[in-house]
Amino acid sequence: MKDNKNPLSPHIQIYRWHISSLLSITHRIVGVVNLLALILMFFWLLTLSLGENNYELFLSAINSVFGKFILIGFIWSMSFHILSGIRHLIWDFGYGFEIKIANISGIIVIISSLLLTIIFWLLGRGLI
Amino acid sequence: MNETRKWILHRVTAIILAPLFVWFFFSLISLSTKNYQEAIYFFKSPLFTVLTIILFFIGFFHAKISLHEIFEDYIHNKKIKDVANILALILSIVVPIIILILLIYRI
Repeated sequence: MKDNKNPLSPHIQIYRWHISSLLSITHRIVGVVNLLALILMFFWLLTLSLGENNYELFLSAINSVFGKFILIGFIWSMSFHILSGIRHLIWDFGYGFEIKIANISGIIVIISSLLLTIIFWLLGRGLI
Repeated sequence: MNETRKWILHRVTAIILAPLFVWFFFSLISLSTKNYQEAIYFFKSPLFTVLTIILFFIGFFHAKISLHEIFEDYIHNKKIKDVANILALILSIVVPIIILILLIYRI
């Protein structure tokens, strides 16, 4: 960077948040979180390959309160990233750019990611 | 890799990844309530083994492209950026290869 005096945008401190910008940065953060989820899955398989004792130990960690919190968090980050990603793909095809529609689709992404998380957890854990 | 191809590959991998990731994560959540034998039984299926390996290779490839974009936006020191990109590249190659070896020889 030759000239560091150039103004950077957006200025976070005086920035008025919109659904679109909030979802944009969340999409990125949650994408990185999904990479962490993938790394957890890697350790899941690694402990599985290390035999029964190690795997049982891993399972007890996963089934602790903290473990469940992490799992549910990862389910939400996956749900959000996929739904938000679909929204991005629709934009890539040239649809949904009107402000009103972008706001509505943003709200749909937020609400359905939460619903999907609940359904995914209940179904996956065999609770329904 | 030129940027247009990267852009397209990013979308293509995303579309393949979405169902794979949901399927695999759902399987793991189900396995979290079951024991070791059932988990081993799950990965004994050749179809599941192949899908899991594809998930890891494509997942880390998608992550590699994304991380490159993120580093491009937030890291302004070129040297640090290059190192970060190399680390991401190593991660995205090593982890899927370990998974490949584990699933073929150990599980």
